[in-house]
Amino acid sequence: MAHTHVYRWDLDKTYLKTDFDSLRSLIKTAFEKPEDKLAVPGASALLRELRGGGTGRICFISGSPRQMRKVLTRKLHLDGVEFDEFILKPNLRNMLTGRFRAMREQVGYKLPALLAGRAGLPAETPETCFGDDAESDGFIYSLYADVIARRIDRPSLEKVLVAAGTYPADALRALALAQALPEADAVRRIFIRLDRHSPTARFDRYGARLVPIFNYLQVAAVLYQDGLLPPAAVGRVALEMIDRFAYSIDALKNSLEDLIRRNRLRTSVTAQLGRELLADAPPAMGQLPGSRERLEAFAQKIAALPETRRGTALKQEPIDYLAALEADLPYRRK
Amino acid sequence: MATSPHPTVTIAVDAMGGDHAPDEIVRGVAALSIEAPHIQTLLVGDEPRLSELLTKIRHDAERISIFHASELIGMEDKPGEALEQRPDASITVAAKLVASGAAQALVSAGNTGASVMACSRNWKRIAGVRRAALAAVYPTELRRGEKDDPFSLILDVGATLDVTAEDLVAFALMGSAYASRVSKNERPRVALLSNGSEAGKGPPEIVEAHRLLASSPDLNFVGNVEGVDIPRGTADVVVCSGFVGNVVLKMLEGVADTIVRLAGYAYKERLVWRAGLMMLSGGISRLKEVTDWEQYGGAPLLGFDRLFIKAHGRSKARAITNACKVAAKAVGSDVHGEIERAMKAFEARRAA
Repeated sequence: MAHTHVYRWDLDKTYLKTDFDSLRSLIKTAFEKPEDKLAVPGASALLRELRGGGTGRICFISGSPRQMRKVLTRKLHLDGVEFDEFILKPNLRNMLTGRFRAMREQVGYKLPALLAGRAGLPAETPETCFGDDAESDGFIYSLYADVIARRIDRPSLEKVLVAAGTYPADALRALALAQALPEADAVRRIFIRLDRHSPTARFDRYGARLVPIFNYLQVAAVLYQDGLLPPAAVGRVALEMIDRFAYSIDALKNSLEDLIRRNRLRTSVTAQLGRELLADAPPAMGQLPGSRERLEAFAQKIAALPETRRGTALKQEPIDYLAALEADLPYRRK
Repeated sequence: MATSPHPTVTIAVDAMGGDHAPDEIVRGVAALSIEAPHIQTLLVGDEPRLSELLTKIRHDAERISIFHASELIGMEDKPGEALEQRPDASITVAAKLVASGAAQALVSAGNTGASVMACSRNWKRIAGVRRAALAAVYPTELRRGEKDDPFSLILDVGATLDVTAEDLVAFALMGSAYASRVSKNERPRVALLSNGSEAGKGPPEIVEAHRLLASSPDLNFVGNVEGVDIPRGTADVVVCSGFVGNVVLKMLEGVADTIVRLAGYAYKERLVWRAGLMMLSGGISRLKEVTDWEQYGGAPLLGFDRLFIKAHGRSKARAITNACKVAAKAVGSDVHGEIERAMKAFEARRAA
């Protein structure tokens, strides 16, 4: 089956609830069993919907070491998440070859990997990328989008890669891959999960394409607005969050209101979504007692969201990547 | 969103009230959204401005909602006039939201008079309560309750200036109910503030209130106390008129501020004093911590069927965060149910 859309996902803190902010938690994460690992609420439901019976291509790209492949893929299988590509960082090789900086640095690892992943696809295949605010995902995905769209020329890209501390071999590989790819303005959206509760304005420099999000219902609603998800899919994401993660309907409503205030979602869209869910919620939706009622309560709330005074809509203007690197530095050092 | 063992509580926050509104109010609510998963806040005020502020600070949008109010009441405005002239003032809108059940409590650092009036115009008084009372907490030498709470409660501190003996009795019942629930102090010691410990001392309303309280078996009434007993912690609940309470509270705050200023002066004046202060720095820090009004949260307004926490006009983010936590705790402790029961029992006994 031909893939109509590519979804690129980071793993730690984007799909998995991972804590590696201290040495102790890092060690704990490394030795955790697949069944003990926790997914971020709504993430597995959303991934199942994006997969859409095989039309969506799911690609994971993670900074975790390759030695964790077995545990991580097992976790995804346990969650019922299918994928087409799973890229992990060659950290053992980095260590043995003395490339210690590469163990932490992400641009030199992820950008070439993303470009290589794009190589075999038809030029027009659209993409949506998912990351978090813990490292440089917003920066890397935006750079990737502009590189394949030829919005950044070779000398500028070279400067950015040098400034990002990329090893020369990785930089050269990225430049070669970028040159070989056909021009394609393919990246439609970049979703950055605010694991560290970063201020949303931190990402304004990346323009309208990048949407900072507090949860995956927000993603589902934006993709519904974009015509990429049907209403029932949004309903299933909401239900997973309500039934499995004890989300209150108010919390979900608040998160959609937040998107409306930030001018990322229209009230007319939430009203339509609410109406569609009330009219046509699929019978298979929700296995717990009362699921249907909870979904209806949610649908009623969002169908009646008042028109709010929205902020100014962001535009997609050229990104100053050197300034973005500088601005991101304090967050990457954390 | 982390799941919480506490039931979810929604607090309406007047985002436009206070010396540092709305910036510090929004900061306080933003911090709360990250710290307290069981508290949802309804920020009431200038929506575009509040939204803009939120985008610049760390917060969790799942726990914050914004309700637009196009007007505000300033700290210097005359309460009655301002409320009449500005029907869409944030404090009025917030009080109405609480009345409608959209939120279970209200927090404001704004104009005290306007806040109290907004509550009285939109909420019902608990049966048997004629006048509302603002209750402030104050750190004392003695501790109390199962949580070893260092705070005693003083009420009223400004909601009702002229009181009758019946009002003072109602204040005593409400204060006792609040202390028993929020401080987990099963039998709080209740006292009347007077100019002597003897039953006959004080103005007529105090003497009469003493007589009524002394015959109330449900209260742990310990008689009259003098001003000097407040910081000692002789009583857990100190009852007085709003006029007296406000003077007492401001004086206690003034004394605390003066001590800190004097310590600063001593630090600069002589090397020996500086050394002495440095040796005492741990103790001074602890003292500052205990007397820091920002950590108390605010003063609950008691007597209505809904809860209002009045935060200090000078409140910054931390004080607002704590005021919301106190509000959530009071809601979760069913303070109103306890006050209603106490008032009903007192009225029934009186009628008998």
